Amino acid sequence: MVTFHRPVDLAEALQVRAETGAIPLAGGTDLLVRHRNWAGTLPRIDKPVVYVGHLQELRRIDISGNGSGPQMTIGASVTYSELLDHPTTPQLLRDSIIELAAPGLRNVATLAGNICNASPAADAACALYALDAEVELAGPSGRRRLPIAEFITGPGRTALNNDELVTAIHLPPDNSTVKFYKKVGTRRANALSKLSLCACARIVDRTVTEIGIAVGAVAPTIVRDRDIEHHLQNTAPEQLALRIPQTLQQYAELIRPIDDQRSTAEYRKHTALALIEQFLTHELR
Amino acid sequence: MNKSPISTAVQRVDSHGKTSGETRYLADYYYPDMLYARCVRSTRSRARILAVRVPELPEGYYYVDHRDIPEGGENCVAMINRDWRAFAADLTSFYGETIGMLVGPDRSRILQIMDSIEVEYEDLEPAVNIDEALALKGGPIHGSDNLFAEINLTKGDPDAAFARAARVVEGTFESGAQEHVYLEPQALCGTFEDGKLTIHASTQCPFYIRHSVAEALGWAAEDVRVRQTVTGGGFGGKEHYPDVLAVPLAVATLKIGKPIQLVLPREEDLEVTSKRHPSRITLRTALDSDGRILGMQLDTIIDAGAYESSSRVVLQRAVFTGIGVYDIPSVRAHGRAVATNTVPADAFRGFGAPQGLFAIEMHMSQIAQELGVDEDEFRRRYFVRRNSATITNGHVPEDVKLNELLERVKQLSDYDRKRRSYARGGGRGIALAFVQHGSGFTGSGERDIIKARVRLRRTEDDVIEVCASNVEIGQGVDTTFRKIVADVMEIPYTEVQLLNTNTDLTPDSGPTCASRSVGVVGYLLQEGARKLKARANEPGPIEVEQEYRQPPEIRWDAETLQGDAYPSFGWGVTCIEVQTDPVTLEAGVTGIWAAFDIGRAIDELVIQGQIDGGIVQGLGYAQIEKLESSNGRFQQITMADYVIPTSLDYPAINSCLVDNPYPYGPSGAKGAGEVVFDGAAPAFTLALQHAFDLPLRRIPVTPEYILEVKKHARNPVHA
Repeated sequence: MVTFHRPVDLAEALQVRAETGAIPLAGGTDLLVRHRNWAGTLPRIDKPVVYVGHLQELRRIDISGNGSGPQMTIGASVTYSELLDHPTTPQLLRDSIIELAAPGLRNVATLAGNICNASPAADAACALYALDAEVELAGPSGRRRLPIAEFITGPGRTALNNDELVTAIHLPPDNSTVKFYKKVGTRRANALSKLSLCACARIVDRTVTEIGIAVGAVAPTIVRDRDIEHHLQNTAPEQLALRIPQTLQQYAELIRPIDDQRSTAEYRKHTALALIEQFLTHELR
Repeated sequence: MNKSPISTAVQRVDSHGKTSGETRYLADYYYPDMLYARCVRSTRSRARILAVRVPELPEGYYYVDHRDIPEGGENCVAMINRDWRAFAADLTSFYGETIGMLVGPDRSRILQIMDSIEVEYEDLEPAVNIDEALALKGGPIHGSDNLFAEINLTKGDPDAAFARAARVVEGTFESGAQEHVYLEPQALCGTFEDGKLTIHASTQCPFYIRHSVAEALGWAAEDVRVRQTVTGGGFGGKEHYPDVLAVPLAVATLKIGKPIQLVLPREEDLEVTSKRHPSRITLRTALDSDGRILGMQLDTIIDAGAYESSSRVVLQRAVFTGIGVYDIPSVRAHGRAVATNTVPADAFRGFGAPQGLFAIEMHMSQIAQELGVDEDEFRRRYFVRRNSATITNGHVPEDVKLNELLERVKQLSDYDRKRRSYARGGGRGIALAFVQHGSGFTGSGERDIIKARVRLRRTEDDVIEVCASNVEIGQGVDTTFRKIVADVMEIPYTEVQLLNTNTDLTPDSGPTCASRSVGVVGYLLQEGARKLKARANEPGPIEVEQEYRQPPEIRWDAETLQGDAYPSFGWGVTCIEVQTDPVTLEAGVTGIWAAFDIGRAIDELVIQGQIDGGIVQGLGYAQIEKLESSNGRFQQITMADYVIPTSLDYPAINSCLVDNPYPYGPSGAKGAGEVVFDGAAPAFTLALQHAFDLPLRRIPVTPEYILEVKKHARNPVHA
């Protein structure tokens, strides 16, 4: 038997979570698949479950403006389909959602669930790394915000405490002028990633002022390195080209994929580096 | 195109029920007191079973194993051979083998009990691939040499050909396992009806199940009844495999006396049911100084897994199809089906031919490349013709329209222009594959083993009833059988009644496999309908039977495997165009064209369904359906990891048919279900080979494999 809680509001959800350590359930596209069981039997979940997919506080997308563009707050129970339909959703996130699963799944799956699942192959999470997303958590002692890279601590592991819930994901204004998304999946659609690259840059007056490169499924967590990026910033694209060999060497240190049922470590590493090289040479013009 | 009225598409009789969801499959049926069964399976590839500890079971729960087989029975699944045990008793030979069956009313409780069943093993050293099996690692699994079957064939004088050769070209080609992914997993229900043991099953071959259940129980075949339920796909996976589940289920039904449902969950189905045979085929060709082929040597090895099942016959088809559509003057062929400690391989659409055809098409192109001549023209020069001698020293009994098929495909695809403009290694490729597929059972199997019979009736109420044991598995036979009879009787096809297969009521017209339902059994229906029509003026009900008769010019010696291996052939030309991604090494298929000679279509839409499905399934096999085995366990055992194509993976298929009516087929039809699969893998691989300018030797051709080949090409030392 699984105890199932359906709270009326976020406060009650937090209370259930604090009292029972119940597992939050929104779309269920990871949780229920992981615990699926023989047809005609209940899923085997050894903890209570608290449903949050219906909570109005978590179903909102809020846009707040500041001088540099719209800032997006995505409630934890907003589905991928709702994000795809929203005009403010940044291009990189949109690109990753379009290639993620199939429409039926996108109608129920949530971005927050994707990051809580903390798979290094999570497609949308990769875009969140490149977009400098922050995760908002609520618990008995109030709210806190963590950069996505601090929220995800390892494969399947996050900084979420047993008495906390993810309430929202914050996206700062996306001022990038170049965006590059490539998912290498096991097939064209409804596929899991062998690896993916999510990259963006801002080029002002022929100078790369900002750059973000996130690589999925090539290490225990999604790879993003600000030191390497720092060395690429404030350069003209032509100068940047000279730094590519060294940059690729640096990424080669960080990209430590595994052999698994979907691909090989060798292919993942080779292709991830080839895609970074393609971004730096062909996209940054 | 000459359109015969029978070819005109009609609405399939099963389309409304299946698309509306009204059709009920086995798992949709509930019986009062029905119990559920779950298999207790081996978790070792090779081990002695020292003990099975089952906890004390609650009331109403049962553990069933080999000790429950009644006296006079035998712990076996009788197929062609009877080496596959119904329950592993003292030894297990592959991971996932059935040891016992747990049966009870509540599925959650069954799972709880499953967790507390302990099997104690003494591990033995397994041989999990062809090389280990040939080296007899851990001692032989089967006989003294691990060979379930071995074939040696000689045509012409291969020794003289190789002695005269100015040069010899050699290539080794490998293909992987493939899972059927029928939409409905394996599903059976055992019950007693009117006091008779009855197995309901999602199956291609109800009479195979009856045979194996009766043999295991030590009963007469007539004491078992098998009823086919609407079958959600088969592709060969429900040819023999349901027998493997039916025997333990029958033993359990007999012991417990209540209805028992056994439906495999998808993951279990992926992990333990039979797959397509992995293969390794080495071809050597002797050429004279002008580049003409003098002779060829084939060494064909298929990985059969732990039990024989159909491997002997799969090997025969792999070898008999091993020189493809070519007239090679001298051939020596050696074939082996090797026993390994893996899930037994069995029937899968193509039945050995796809492996053989992949290898020969790749090899013929390899020769052309090494000679520096056009691959297509080189192959075309060796096309067989009517009366060409086959690899078994028989003859091709019919007009061969390969040149016409080739021209049609070239027109459809704008082939010559594209082939000229796509530079080798330039990222784009287009290529052709030429294939043949013998319809029906090998040699005189139809006459000597199957002995198909069909029955037709005109009832009191003037209704035409048809009884045959070939079943609808999605391929359209419920519609095409009706059309064949209706065409003779000159009535609407919807007025022909086709009785559901029930081994008590239906004559045995043989299994639903081997591209034989329409070509072979459809002909019996046509002949039977003619008899019925000739007696149309008689009053009252009429019943006629029609038995198989071998076409007169067919000669076959089953001992020496000499003569006409197949009475008729389907022929095909498949063309695939690809575009590659130079960064990720992924391949996208940008065009698919094909032309087939299947005699004549009984229904053009049904045939288009076969062509589209066959080519897409063949492309999946060639490109993305990776099924790797590690220490005897499959690694891709979820639908997320074992990926089959979606509608976004491949573009629309443009195909056509060339009529070539076969005198012993209904309205001229031959088999179509498999020839449509065969060409996709070689055409795709050849197109990729051109696009990348790399020698490809194995399917599936994944980007990972391309990278591996690229590295070797750069460092020939490691090649």
